[in-house]
Amino acid sequence: MDDMKIGVYVCNCGTNIAKVVDCDAVAEAASALPGVAVARSYKYMCSNPGQEMIVSDIAEQGLDRIVVAACSPRMHEPTFRKALQQAGVNPYYVEMANIREQCSWVHDDAPAATDKAKALMRAAVLRVARHDALERRSVDMDPATLVIGGGIAGMTAALDLADAGSQVYLVEQSDHLGGNVARVDLTAPYLDSARDMLTERLTRVVEHPRISVVLEGEVEEVAGFVGNFTARIVGRDEERRPVETTVGVGNVIVATGYKEFDARRITHYGYGKLPNVITSFELEKMLRAGRVETKEGKPPQYVAIIHCVGSRNPEFNSYCSRVCCMTALKYAHEIKSAVQGVYVSDIYVDMHAFGKGHEDFYRRTSEVKTLFLMYDKGDSPVVRRADPGDDCGMLIEVNEKLSGETIEIPADLVVLMVGMEARDDSERVAHLVNISRDKDGWFIESHPKLDPVATTTDGVFIAGACQAPKDIPDSVAQARAAAGRILARISRGRLEIDAMYAEVDEDKCSGCRVCNDLCPYVAIEFDEEKKKSHVISALCKSCGACVAACPSSAITALHFTDAQIFAEIEGVLL
Amino acid sequence: MAIRANPKLIEELELYGAQDVSKCYHCGNCSATCPFSKEPYILPRRSMRSLQMGLEDKLLGDLEPWLCYYCGECSQECPRDAEPGETMMSLRRWLTARYDFTGIAGLFYRSWRAEVIAVLVVAMLTGIGFLLWGFSQGNIDQYDGPNAFLPSGQVHLFDWVMAAVLIVLLGTNCIRMWWFTVGRDKDARVSFGAYVRKLYQLPYSFLTQARYAQCERKRPWLLHLVLMLSYLTMLVLIMFFLGEMAAGPEVDWRVHVFGLLATAGLLTTTILAMRGRLRKTEPLYRYSHETDWMFLILLAVVASTGLLQFVLHRSGLDVAANIAYVVHLMGVVPMLVLEVPFSKWAHLAYRPLAIYLADVKAEALVAEKQAAAPAPLAPAA
Repeated sequence: MDDMKIGVYVCNCGTNIAKVVDCDAVAEAASALPGVAVARSYKYMCSNPGQEMIVSDIAEQGLDRIVVAACSPRMHEPTFRKALQQAGVNPYYVEMANIREQCSWVHDDAPAATDKAKALMRAAVLRVARHDALERRSVDMDPATLVIGGGIAGMTAALDLADAGSQVYLVEQSDHLGGNVARVDLTAPYLDSARDMLTERLTRVVEHPRISVVLEGEVEEVAGFVGNFTARIVGRDEERRPVETTVGVGNVIVATGYKEFDARRITHYGYGKLPNVITSFELEKMLRAGRVETKEGKPPQYVAIIHCVGSRNPEFNSYCSRVCCMTALKYAHEIKSAVQGVYVSDIYVDMHAFGKGHEDFYRRTSEVKTLFLMYDKGDSPVVRRADPGDDCGMLIEVNEKLSGETIEIPADLVVLMVGMEARDDSERVAHLVNISRDKDGWFIESHPKLDPVATTTDGVFIAGACQAPKDIPDSVAQARAAAGRILARISRGRLEIDAMYAEVDEDKCSGCRVCNDLCPYVAIEFDEEKKKSHVISALCKSCGACVAACPSSAITALHFTDAQIFAEIEGVLL
Repeated sequence: MAIRANPKLIEELELYGAQDVSKCYHCGNCSATCPFSKEPYILPRRSMRSLQMGLEDKLLGDLEPWLCYYCGECSQECPRDAEPGETMMSLRRWLTARYDFTGIAGLFYRSWRAEVIAVLVVAMLTGIGFLLWGFSQGNIDQYDGPNAFLPSGQVHLFDWVMAAVLIVLLGTNCIRMWWFTVGRDKDARVSFGAYVRKLYQLPYSFLTQARYAQCERKRPWLLHLVLMLSYLTMLVLIMFFLGEMAAGPEVDWRVHVFGLLATAGLLTTTILAMRGRLRKTEPLYRYSHETDWMFLILLAVVASTGLLQFVLHRSGLDVAANIAYVVHLMGVVPMLVLEVPFSKWAHLAYRPLAIYLADVKAEALVAEKQAAAPAPLAPAA
């Protein structure tokens, strides 16, 4: 270490750090350490003059390692790495000591905080002396994309990708494109035709030179890693015999959609027993045919719509299915147009009118004299047959919250707004592409707020209802977001991989394979011939699980070696 | 027990002037702003809700519509423009029709043609009747004294017969109102003593309209008070001083003074009200049902022909005065025989009765609740 020339910079961060920590004292303590050639205290290290100070010190004093005691590396590590690069030094020769978020911002006792800052600075100095020069690498990025699911999300993503010039393989399990939107007549809140929306999309997909559509297809296997996946697809030829194709893709979009809740599970609605209790999709069929009728073939005088069927109920699914409230209002309008003089009542829990045009749609629905009845989540209505002499077929008993009365509302037709559920094959799909599902079976996104379409598996994206219940605008937005992310990567041609990853020392590896299943990013493969594990650096996120678990200590995490970590500990304890 | 909801009721209420009730989404701003909304009477939201769901029987027993004076604050606060004020007004009209056992009130409210035809027919019959009678026993150029065309002594008798019929009809309807709102309500059993104790409220609220004065704006209360007191004055004068009123200059000046004041009051207020309704100057003037106009027009006709008689007689034009008298009667008779028991006038009985019953019922409800509540735990020794 004595032949090193370490530069230590203690940032004041204005008063953020200087108010509590005596920065000059820390700089002075740094200058006393062996190997430290320069130690400065400065107002704002991240500023241009601050960075230039580092660059010029490197040039003039021949510094080869840098320590910046300042804010969190999450804030400015890239800043200082760039400064080093500018000065011609390997960017991994800088270490930051966090004396703001982990020191000045959380302590009032100035002397104690200064001592702590000194300790953190010492740790950084001892660590940086053991840093290795690391190089960023890149891998190929195959421009083709696999899209699993031919609904509105899948088709939209495929079109965006293909229009931009990339090849897309669109695999759809059923015998037609369009998914659940193809079962719908009009959409809320503007009552546009779903068919018109789909036809435009469908035609373009089918005719597009760069989209290969496989209907009645299944993706049997996806191997490889981001930029270099191999997918095995099984489809059918003209004679309906299975035919297998293998394609190479750079990225995968999962857009498998949802299935609807089985209303038979709620017995007090009478679905499956009372003939005129139907689900939302069954009503859509009637609406598409242009006739709303009871099973006896007569137009209903009273129609009741019940919200939250299978949703927001710990007994079935605790989440809200998001689309049903506005869809129910849509039905109120459609039923009133289809049946002259019909009385529509809408039996709801809360009116989730969260989106654009939704509140206005709600108001318009009450203007056409829809009767809204509110019930409590845990206290659902009960549907029963009416007496033969009554002027309606069924009566629904509701503990109505807005009035505090228990009332009976007449109904000839009852429409159940069944919720959305994860498909039965979602577990299989998750395993196929190595993504996770939450407790309700929806695929998990990389970050709930900041990264809704990526997953923890690099190169695999999710879009549409398979991620969580959502409506058409949001599904389309996610599909286009995923396509956009992929296009951004494809446009670079190669994928840059972070220089930090884990490495297996093959001489030490015993082939026990404990690390293989431990890796949350499925980044460790086993070489059957050599009988050794190997880390796929492109997928490795440097979490360190395998490093800690390896019984032979055969795995090292670059930039987090044992020597480096022990040096830090030593610095703190000095 | 579940109450049967009837989505068709709103359509019936639309004939009584209800509009936009379906827009209400029960935010409660209206009840929050209403100065009269206090347990156990929550208005106007509770009635709006019962109407939306068509709980007919419950609405029939509601006193809330009569506790409202249509200041219009609720309609102004409503974020959905659901017109709670006008809904309460339409409920008052509907209740007036439902309390009436004959069904005539309902007919008048639902069909303005029926009302107009009835009024015209009664007016014609009155006119023809009085003309024939006048010619048969008097001189058309004699306003008072022997041979008077329409001698006040006999007209007086006719007035009392009309009053008796009217009291019977209105009285029966009031008993029905009591039955619907309090009598049949098992949760509010009122003792005889309670009825007697609170009885003072009837004349008190009738004469002072004190509750109306609690509204934020005083102008509507004042106008209504003047209108009502003027009408009451004229009624007293006609029922008890008809002879003195018809007589010439030797009549006690007080009779004429009160008469003239009352007439001035009637004419001013009706003209102001009509002007207000045309120009929609107050929230309660924005919507006018045919019964609202019939009320004002008949009142104006009766007041002005009353004044006309007086002026013509004092000017010595007795023939003209008698003709004015006949026209006057053609207004008065339909007013007393049709409008008072079967239309808007009926509120003169229903509203004071409602205020009295509301007070009595509230007391009974509180008492029942306390009786049903468990006894408080004894304090630890």
